[in-house]
Amino acid sequence: MSEVSSKKYWKSLTKRSDGSISLPIAGDEFQSVPETIGADPERASVQPLEVRRRDFLAAAGFAFGSVTLSGCSRAPVEKAIPYLVAPEAIIPGRATYYASTCRACKAGCGLLVKNRDGRAIKLEGNAEHPVSRGGLCAVGQASVLGLYDSNRLQHPLQEGKQATWDAVDGAITRQLDAMRENGATLRLLTGAISSPTKQRVIQEFLKGFAGAKHVTYETLSTAAIQNAHEKTHSQSVLPNYAFEKATVIVGFDADFLGTWISPVAFTAGWAKGRRADIDPKSFSYHAQFESRFSVTGGKADRRVSVTPAQLAQSMNLLASALAKKAGVPFAVESSDTASLDTDFIEGLAAKLWHERGRSLVVCGSQDIDAQVVCNFINHTLENYGTTIDITHTAARQHANDEDIQSLLRELQSGSVDALILDNVDPVYGLPNGQDFAAAISKAGLVVSFADRLTETSEHATYICPDHHYLESWGDVSLGHSFVGFQQPVMRPLFNTRSILESLSKWSHSSSAIVSKKSDQTLVRETWGTSVEWNKAIHDGFAKISEKPATGSAFRANAVKAIPTPQETPGGKLALVLYPKVAMLDGRNASNPWLHEMPDPITKIVWDNYASIAEATATRLGIETSDVVKITLSESSEKAIELPALVQPGQHEEVVAIALGYGHPESARFEKLGPEWLEKKPTLGDNGLVGTNAAKLLTYRNGSLHLSGENVAIEKTHRKHSLACTQDYHNIEIPAALLVPGMDQRRPMVQETTLAAYERDGKLPQHGHAAHHDDLGDLWPKDHPYEGHHWGMAIDLTSCTGCSACVVSCQIENNVPVVGRDEVERKRIMHWLRIDRYYSDSEKEDQPDILHQPVMCQHCDNAPCETVCPVIATAHGDEGLNMQTYNRCVGTRYCANNCPYKVRRFNWFDYAHDDKLANMALNPDITVRTRGVMEKCSFCVQRIEEARIEAKKKGLPIADGDIRPACQQSCPAGSIVFGDMNDPESAVSKLIKSGRHYRMLEEINVKPSVGYLALVRNREEGEDKSHHG
Amino acid sequence: MASIPTSIHTPLILGEKTPSVVTTDICSALERRPTLSWWIAIAISSSMLLLGLIAVGYQIMTGIGTWGLNNTVGWAFDITNFVFWVGIGHAGTLISAVLFLFRQKWRTSVNRAAEAMTIIAVMCAGIFPLIHMGRPWLAHWMAPYPNTRGPLWINFRSPLVWDFFAISTYFTISFVFWYVGMIPDLATLRDRLKAGWRKTAAGFLSLGWNGSFRTWLHYETVYLLLAGLATPLVISVHTIVSWDFATSVIPGWHTTILPPYFVAGAIFSGMSMVLTLMLIARKTMHLEDYITKQHVGAMCKILIATGGMVAMAYLTEFVTALYSNSQYEQFAFMNRALGPFSWAYWIMVSCNILSPQILWFKAARSNMLVVFMVTIFINIGMWFERFVIIVTSLHRDYLPSNWTSYSPTWIEIATLVGSFGLFLTLFLMFCRFIPVIAMAEVKGVLSHGRRK
Repeated sequence: MSEVSSKKYWKSLTKRSDGSISLPIAGDEFQSVPETIGADPERASVQPLEVRRRDFLAAAGFAFGSVTLSGCSRAPVEKAIPYLVAPEAIIPGRATYYASTCRACKAGCGLLVKNRDGRAIKLEGNAEHPVSRGGLCAVGQASVLGLYDSNRLQHPLQEGKQATWDAVDGAITRQLDAMRENGATLRLLTGAISSPTKQRVIQEFLKGFAGAKHVTYETLSTAAIQNAHEKTHSQSVLPNYAFEKATVIVGFDADFLGTWISPVAFTAGWAKGRRADIDPKSFSYHAQFESRFSVTGGKADRRVSVTPAQLAQSMNLLASALAKKAGVPFAVESSDTASLDTDFIEGLAAKLWHERGRSLVVCGSQDIDAQVVCNFINHTLENYGTTIDITHTAARQHANDEDIQSLLRELQSGSVDALILDNVDPVYGLPNGQDFAAAISKAGLVVSFADRLTETSEHATYICPDHHYLESWGDVSLGHSFVGFQQPVMRPLFNTRSILESLSKWSHSSSAIVSKKSDQTLVRETWGTSVEWNKAIHDGFAKISEKPATGSAFRANAVKAIPTPQETPGGKLALVLYPKVAMLDGRNASNPWLHEMPDPITKIVWDNYASIAEATATRLGIETSDVVKITLSESSEKAIELPALVQPGQHEEVVAIALGYGHPESARFEKLGPEWLEKKPTLGDNGLVGTNAAKLLTYRNGSLHLSGENVAIEKTHRKHSLACTQDYHNIEIPAALLVPGMDQRRPMVQETTLAAYERDGKLPQHGHAAHHDDLGDLWPKDHPYEGHHWGMAIDLTSCTGCSACVVSCQIENNVPVVGRDEVERKRIMHWLRIDRYYSDSEKEDQPDILHQPVMCQHCDNAPCETVCPVIATAHGDEGLNMQTYNRCVGTRYCANNCPYKVRRFNWFDYAHDDKLANMALNPDITVRTRGVMEKCSFCVQRIEEARIEAKKKGLPIADGDIRPACQQSCPAGSIVFGDMNDPESAVSKLIKSGRHYRMLEEINVKPSVGYLALVRNREEGEDKSHHG
Repeated sequence: MASIPTSIHTPLILGEKTPSVVTTDICSALERRPTLSWWIAIAISSSMLLLGLIAVGYQIMTGIGTWGLNNTVGWAFDITNFVFWVGIGHAGTLISAVLFLFRQKWRTSVNRAAEAMTIIAVMCAGIFPLIHMGRPWLAHWMAPYPNTRGPLWINFRSPLVWDFFAISTYFTISFVFWYVGMIPDLATLRDRLKAGWRKTAAGFLSLGWNGSFRTWLHYETVYLLLAGLATPLVISVHTIVSWDFATSVIPGWHTTILPPYFVAGAIFSGMSMVLTLMLIARKTMHLEDYITKQHVGAMCKILIATGGMVAMAYLTEFVTALYSNSQYEQFAFMNRALGPFSWAYWIMVSCNILSPQILWFKAARSNMLVVFMVTIFINIGMWFERFVIIVTSLHRDYLPSNWTSYSPTWIEIATLVGSFGLFLTLFLMFCRFIPVIAMAEVKGVLSHGRRK
């Protein structure tokens, strides 16, 4: 020991001579600030390192050897080739927007497609669009994921094997040539086509074939409306409905705010008639007769729950009451009206008659007789020409259910030589789909344009996959003399080809192929000089001049009362099949966002179910989640099993089942959701999401009917739990937990009647909802909000609960999909949820429904901010409550202390394994890791983008420059975001409304989100009877 | 320690022990080979611990999602267990420090074990704030120190930060107090043990104790000072733990009664756990002469007193809610008593309020089996008290749309079992390696040599 410690350590000769010991640790061992050599005289005198030759060689050898060894592993080759000529308008990191048209359903809403670095990442509504007027529904929003769907076919298939386009074209044209010559039977099966170019190309293609026929097929067909107009007006048209012009609206099972024809456009129009502050005098009155609880029924001022039979009777009764007023004949065979509220219908007739020319009656039935009566009512009310336009309607072929049935017969008889299928799936969607599947192969040549292998396309000899609509050119007839244009927003991802190109190529015999027309050329050819092309593509739509269509005058003799439908015998229930807002006819079955979007009414995800009334459930001893067997009366083979759901407000004699589930495509979600010990699968026992109810569709009077049949319901002994995002449904707290004398109603959703609101101009004070401005404040006033103070106002009167905002938010903010089990464990990740409550209406069995979108309320006195131990959530100087993901350690204290429970915790590492689907992620937003908290940020990325843009222009941020994803997509314009410090901003004006309130105002957290109370057009006492 | 018990007192230690008998009695348990029952006990407890380790390992690898929590109920078993174990830890400090300052001689028989229990319980408690984090590997971000992350500082407004300080302070002081109190006994062990690692360890840990007058003087002074330091902690720790709830906005949490309520509850649960352990040790280690019915009786009286305080708190909460005129507050308590988790509430009430009432009777206090049963009930009841406060307040708060339920997963149950496994394993080790009764202190209260 002593030997070692006596040893002297020295660093330099100077130091050695000083005798100072400078090691083990010299004072300047870790010099923090680099110094200029020479500045320090002591350092300058440091001698150059003396290295002996052998040491140098050893060190050099070691260094050389180690570098060589470490270089043995091959470094990955990364190719980064810069643009030789940078493309114009593409700036890395900056989004560009292209106008296009949404083709997720037939409505044709206007789109602005957000492109980042050459890929589409978000679809937004086009505010200038004449039909959709700025909104975009959930289905439209989610359709961007279809582009990045790994189940898409990536190349043409010949007999199930990969082929080249040349090979496929050659083979097909050779066979078609032969058919042209011998006049073979050719059948082209498509959906209802509203694209003029596609219609033109199809006609041109079919021209060469003597025995060719074009068959259209849609599960959610509007054929009855078109056929009824053929009967009454000699015009097969789908009218334009102007809900904004109507002051009295009556819906008969037409879910026009949810799924019927063009819900985005209708919601925008309907919402215009529901402005309690701006225009209370023209606030519309809306009555809805329906057999199940729909989004539209939930918003009605009066919802009448009826069986399908009573629906027909009610229409007859209304028609005869109006006929009496108009003095025209309308013969109703005497039917039992005892079960109807005749007084109400008489009153409704009086209301409609008073507002004739300003009213609108719509019917969603597939029954031509019902649609004829609907036309008669509208005609009697002089609505044609005002609220209903049949002169400038969309050029839309109607799907004829008769045709597909005769096609099936032809196929079965083996008389079809060639069957060409567009992206349609009759095997899935028809009640006799299996017969169709069995018969397809009897056709000599089967060609499909399907973008994936479906139950139908797997029978095709050739599959020539079409582009996704965001990759191709197209057009759509919108009505009102407008045509919408669709442009590719990115290069096709796969070796696919537009159906337009394929058909045009096959239109000529193989020897005649001279030039290949692109889909762009084909679309341009259709319009020629009638539209200004560049402007039309820029805007996404164009006005065209067209002659108003003329039909004959109203043919009164076509009108007859709806024959009284069959009564529902005791022990049976009337069946109502319906499309759900997200899933529609099953076309979205591969889209996880739409599966996880809670149904606006039931709040259930990842399933369909048999909805029955509470009384029926009690009578049959069925509880929610019991699996029931539904058997269609005529044959026991037509039976499906699915879980039951007890649905408030449903008619006792009705069972309602959603279509579009049990789709083979949904089998892909087998592994969805985080993997862990107690995980339960997303799929049901059948290996699919939900059960296909298409079996229960009935073909009657030339069309496929969704309702009107009677079914037997039988309880099985199995259970299938339903994943619901909301457990407790009432705004009133349970009576058993009530302190006597206390108000049991929680005031988070406030509503009033139009009459009361017109008189008072403010809300009735509900106990605790009183304003608490005079309360003292224990919080330090450390946020002056000198610049902007962001806030939001949400109008509950126009909010329909359609959930477009929920999906829009999910896409914008990279919110993960978690699967059925996680939702059932109440761990859904949506940043924006729509709370749905029932409340008693004037009639006990017909509750009202209330929707309230809830996102982070960005409280000024945020309870979450004080409790975070690591300051992961902090208050911005513009009032935003900001979450710093990489600072969060995940104590969940903030979520516990949030009175609104809007914070979402990453319970697991949610999978982002699908590299293709990951292309839809928003690059502006972090994908969060497990163990951190997240929540609504008021789309802070959009605020910052607007700030940068404004700064570049040298202007202040204008009101309306910032539109969070939820506001952007809202078809009703219910959500308004803006600067509360600017007295002229739209949000500031809404805050001054007498309907404005803030949720849980009394606990003084000072939320920045406010709500405008729900106003229903009712007499004052009308909805208070339950308080008495 | 100097006052002489008069003959009016019943002797604290029975059996006419001389100091040397005391030394032999207590040390012999450490010097002989472990009994079969000890081996069985440690096998069971370490299996429980192993199960808990597996559960925690799995949870940290996979995510908090392996617990039954959801968007509304963000804390359940984790923080329930945390508050439960912190509460258990309270009795040790109370017995050793507070009763020492109040010159309660009877404490000498139980203080060593009670303090050991405190330290072990706080160790068990400390695990939960760590593992309940979404990202436990970043736990050091809770500590205020100059860092390279900005530097980012902690949020001194957050009760969780104060929790961190309170628990770490409490653990440090309790450990030092326990260790200092043990030095004379360690010296005894050092002197008795044969050469070997235990003797070396005892020698090292006894800090060169030589039993001189000066040593004793210093020792007594330090012990008194530490007792004075530890006493405020009895109040502060659980007060701060209660802030986690009291400073929030959630009905059922947001109430000013929580600090005294939590302190009373902690002493109640801690005393009950001390009794549970002492009764087992008394029986299995044959310490009937040292832990007499008089000791048990005194502790039962504390149970009655603190149980009464807890009952008072339960009642006051309801009165406050009724008086508040806030429908949220009122609902929170109606929901506790009558809602979906009312079973938990009534388990809590019957275990914590009803079961100790039997201790009013002397016959019951002298029946060790009855006392043992009551303490088990209280242990269960006090766990449920924390569960009721945390889960029933959270699961139905302001907006009915958020109302959910909660049920634990096997992982959570295994973690709770594991924490008991850790507690019991460490306590069994303590019984093997450290004198369970403070010999030096007990010798001071012997009747031996006193005039009758």
